[in-house]
Amino acid sequence: MKRLFLVLLLAAVAAAGFATPQSEARVLHLYEAFDTEEAQVYIEAFEAETGIDVEWVRMSSGEVLARVEAEASNPQSSVWHAGSNTSHINASSKGLLAPYRPKTDFQLQPQLPADDWTWTGFYTGAIGFISNKDFLSKKGVKAPTSWKDLLNPAFAKNVAMAYPYTSGTAYTTYATLVQMLGEKETLDWWEKFDRQSVFQYTKSGTGCIPMAGLGEVGLGIAFSHDIVAKGINQGYPVVMSFPEEGTGFEVGGLSLIKGGPEPELAKQFIDWCFTVKAQNLFQQYSRLPVNPKATVAPGAVTLDQVKLIDYDAIWAGNNKDRLIEAWRDRIGK
Amino acid sequence: MKEDYLVLKNLVKIFSGGKESVIAVDDVSLQVREGELVTLLGPSGCGKTTTLRMIAGFEFPTSGEIFLDGERINDVPPNRRPTTMVFQNYALFPHMTVVQNIEYGLKIHRVPGKAIRERVEEVMRLVGLKGLGGRSPTQLSGGQQQRVSLARSLIMEPKVLLLDEPLSNLDAKLRESTRIEIRKLQRRVGITSVYVTHDQEEAMTLSDRVVIMHAGRIQQIGTPPEIYSHPANRFVADFIGKANFLEARVAAISSPNTAELDIHGTKLRVSTDYQELAEGAKVVVVVRPESVALETKKPGTLTGVIRESVYLGSEIVYEVQLKDSILTVEVPNPREHTLFTNDQEVSIRLKEKSLHILPAEEPVG
Amino acid sequence: MNKSARRTSEVLANMRIIWKEPFLLVAILAIFYFLLLFVAFPIFQVFRYSLVVDKKFDLSNYLAVFSARYYYQPFLNSIILGAITGTTGTIMGFVFAYALTRTPLPFKGFFRQTVTFPIISPPFVVALAAILLFGRAGSLTPFLQKILGEYSIYGLGGLVFVETVAYGPTAFLVLYGVLQAIDPALEEASMDLGASRAKVFSTVTLPLAVPGIASAWLLVFIQSMADFGNPMIISGNFRVLSVQAFLQITGMYDLSRGATLAVLLFIPTTVAYFLQKYWVSRKSYVTVTGKPTAATIKRLEWYIKLPVYFLCILFTAMVFLLYGTIVYGSFQKLWGVDATLTFNNYIQMFRVGKDYIIDSLTLSSLATPITGLLGMFIAFLVIRKRFIGRGAMEFISMLTFAVPGTVVGIGYILAFNQRSVLFPFILTGTAWIIVLLLIFRNMPVGIRSGIAALQQIDPAIEEASTDLGADSATTFRKVTLPMIAPAFFSGLVFGFVKAMTAISAVIFVVSGKWNLITVAILGFVDSSRYAPAAAMSLLLIVIVLIAMGIIQLVVNRIGRGVRTTSIVG
Repeated sequence: MKRLFLVLLLAAVAAAGFATPQSEARVLHLYEAFDTEEAQVYIEAFEAETGIDVEWVRMSSGEVLARVEAEASNPQSSVWHAGSNTSHINASSKGLLAPYRPKTDFQLQPQLPADDWTWTGFYTGAIGFISNKDFLSKKGVKAPTSWKDLLNPAFAKNVAMAYPYTSGTAYTTYATLVQMLGEKETLDWWEKFDRQSVFQYTKSGTGCIPMAGLGEVGLGIAFSHDIVAKGINQGYPVVMSFPEEGTGFEVGGLSLIKGGPEPELAKQFIDWCFTVKAQNLFQQYSRLPVNPKATVAPGAVTLDQVKLIDYDAIWAGNNKDRLIEAWRDRIGK
Repeated sequence: MKEDYLVLKNLVKIFSGGKESVIAVDDVSLQVREGELVTLLGPSGCGKTTTLRMIAGFEFPTSGEIFLDGERINDVPPNRRPTTMVFQNYALFPHMTVVQNIEYGLKIHRVPGKAIRERVEEVMRLVGLKGLGGRSPTQLSGGQQQRVSLARSLIMEPKVLLLDEPLSNLDAKLRESTRIEIRKLQRRVGITSVYVTHDQEEAMTLSDRVVIMHAGRIQQIGTPPEIYSHPANRFVADFIGKANFLEARVAAISSPNTAELDIHGTKLRVSTDYQELAEGAKVVVVVRPESVALETKKPGTLTGVIRESVYLGSEIVYEVQLKDSILTVEVPNPREHTLFTNDQEVSIRLKEKSLHILPAEEPVG
Repeated sequence: MNKSARRTSEVLANMRIIWKEPFLLVAILAIFYFLLLFVAFPIFQVFRYSLVVDKKFDLSNYLAVFSARYYYQPFLNSIILGAITGTTGTIMGFVFAYALTRTPLPFKGFFRQTVTFPIISPPFVVALAAILLFGRAGSLTPFLQKILGEYSIYGLGGLVFVETVAYGPTAFLVLYGVLQAIDPALEEASMDLGASRAKVFSTVTLPLAVPGIASAWLLVFIQSMADFGNPMIISGNFRVLSVQAFLQITGMYDLSRGATLAVLLFIPTTVAYFLQKYWVSRKSYVTVTGKPTAATIKRLEWYIKLPVYFLCILFTAMVFLLYGTIVYGSFQKLWGVDATLTFNNYIQMFRVGKDYIIDSLTLSSLATPITGLLGMFIAFLVIRKRFIGRGAMEFISMLTFAVPGTVVGIGYILAFNQRSVLFPFILTGTAWIIVLLLIFRNMPVGIRSGIAALQQIDPAIEEASTDLGADSATTFRKVTLPMIAPAFFSGLVFGFVKAMTAISAVIFVVSGKWNLITVAILGFVDSSRYAPAAAMSLLLIVIVLIAMGIIQLVVNRIGRGVRTTSIVG
């Protein structure tokens, strides 16, 4: 009997130890929307430079949004790193983020920060197409150069992309089309696109890239930096192209979570992300830095090489729920 | 010697399973004297094991009380009752040696090691297990296992020893020798014991008194001779030994203890302990097979026809056809008697002193 | 005394006994509390979130789900998939069981090992292998396309194939036991009376096996519906409920719709579970726990042997092919593009995935012994003791086995992401939520093997211990536990395997600090990094095999001289 109580006591103590959050001393809790391997590069650099320990969880931007919202009454993390700003905008409109103006050694371009500074863009990228070279030559077609091209019967059942409701990349694509063509026209187009051309929807935005690389599908739609980093630079036989009507772009978001456990450390992290040193790290992944002093990776497509539409990320973020429901209703997935 | 050492008072046990309820024990009352060996005897399903388990504490009486040495033990859990049980399948702990099995109870009661060793040695000598202490139960014969089980229970020096058909898993020869041993042991130690069996031979040879049970009720309590020669009802008469039942009528009552019976026309004088016999009443006469003598046919006697005869060496068993019943007759020592053949007519002589009368209509159980 | 009065007095008498043993009372109360908190409460939360919108009781979620095709289609799909897989799995299991019990098939031991192998491997490894072989860039695809034309491994067909391989073995185990336990004398008597082989089969063997067949079908149906890993990988456009519920919660943050989908998943599987447990298995003509009898009818016609042997060999070949591909794939540089063999994947895996491996091992090792002991103890209480609520305890503790992992996982986040009256800690993000999930999810395994073991023990042995003065705790410790040790360790093995290969529930509760190998594998597959996925899958299988080997050694050492049955008879 005595032994049992001792065991129970020990167990209870251990439980308390596990369940309570870590002490404040120099540990930053962070939610991460970059892929694990990429995130490790940035985070380890930050840790090395500042000596701050980072405890981070990797999720897709949709999942981070979900998590932050679920934890609103008791946030477990202090900073949200990466993920297209659409999700950050959504979170901001739900009052989940705290305003913070990062200290930078350059002037931030106007599209980059939110009006109320609840999030700040720290990298950019444009949406493009990735095509498998062998597939193209077998079918005797060239890489698509317009959205209409995607309906080409040669591409039938050979396009992969993510669900707009699980991936920021896919949602940005959807919102871009809506802003270009209008809601009804977009859904009309998409219905055809879905029935004819789409082979499969993936959960994550970059899932279509290795699929195109391996030849499992002929085409994918993703962000240019991902296409370069995960497709071309991995050695897959793929080629990148852009729609001439215009394409959307994303701004990668960085935000301070309201009520997070260590706001000061989070601010330090945010500031660090804009430093030349941090922004230079983007070269490895072909992301476009926002710090003009940083070096751009060779081969990376800069925003002036592509036709961009005047993409209103804020409108996209605010209307996300409604647009998603319309998409699901029409497409039925 | 206390008379009311173990007292069962109006014990009832009803098992309610789903839609049907089974009355396993129906108003059983019994008083066991200290040092006595009482056997609960009956066919399977008669409630004897359930009664035993209620004494042990493994079943709760639906109603009724159990007293041991003056104390009411209904609410005492089985591990605190001063009773131990020898289980039918011995229930030896397979992962312990013989010694570990035997000393188990003492260890639970925190008896000091030295005392344990001494008592284990003593009890092993008592039951005859010397030298087998280190064996595992799986390495023992049936008889040896049984003795370990006995030793394990006896070493606790319980106030009452309970035995649940301990011999049923042994072969016939072993059974005979073991039951004598058990009886001797019990007498020597003087331990009050309740024994359960369905084997009437066992009950008759072992017990100080026998309690015959049927369908949850006690049919009769008595010493073996009492049960045998004066069965209380037809069931007891039939269950113990073999019995023939002949219908008869009371012709006259000659004295308080004697009646003149009319059995199929023949007149007989039989002693009886029934005071309520009225003239003209219908009765049933219990005739044991050994209480009948067969003779060559004589006029004016009860006669019958031999239907079957079975030669058993020490006796011959005849089946004799009467007017409306068959009589089983055992004739001992065939060489000293006339042998009869099938279809032969014979005279039947009933030995009056060994007959027993039961009232004609009575519910069994 | 009338019936209800009698019942009450019996119950009170039982309670009085329990009262006298404080340890027992505390233990029973504690277990009820844990079951309430970690089994009933999460499931309750799932229902609650589906029925309560804005703090009001509201059926709008259900209305939405039944009216929108993108919600109810997955539900129908899952049921169709379950039904088809149930059938194919049962057929396959039956053929194998028949082959091993009624035919002179050589190398029976080998076939037996092969067919039960998928049970110990993480189930979704089969889907991974299928993609490696038959996917759009699969190694066998060009060859197969010549024969079959255009086909896609993604979708219903691929899922049926993969799930039959993964879950057919469960059907096999059930049917093997059933066929073994049918007294061969019955079939011999039938032949003796003039029946042909076919007649014997159709009039004796099959009818006696019917309850077992129904059982097997239901079990495979349940596993298929609850399957998460395989559909995540290979379902393509054939959307299934388990994945949709997951996407709804993690992709859309829609707790109430997600919970509604979880309820939809819960209902058919739980109904099937109870059908199986309380109706079908009661109708068994055959006691599976009885002594198995070897019935090999030696002379079988070729037209029976051939198809049976063929199917067995085909399945075995498939198993080897699939798992062999995993091994092969794990050594490739870039699957589908560069087939040069390299150890790089393993090096990468240990570098990047080291934490996953350590976490998985730590959490599983922590959960498994607790699962085993708790399971054994509950089995002991349920079988040997009588107390109020005993039936409820048994029912609730088996519940997490019936309920699909997705539902349980969602339930756990809904239950423990805030403080509640029942439990003042927030567990999301901690190790404990994972450990608790593993414990209570796999506890039914421990309980079932405990119950099976206890049923083999003559209760008289434990009564003897009580009779000699031991209380329940001492009896359990000194007598029961040692006798059920072999069953206990088998339960440990199974529990460990299940913990290491868990995915559908735990994927909801992993966090940055604590992550699991299975989640990592899915992540790799998600980004089409098939070679590292294969490497990690192989590692997982190897770990499981090693653990099983170790425990087997321990069992052999302890099991020597210990029988679980009574000595007599």
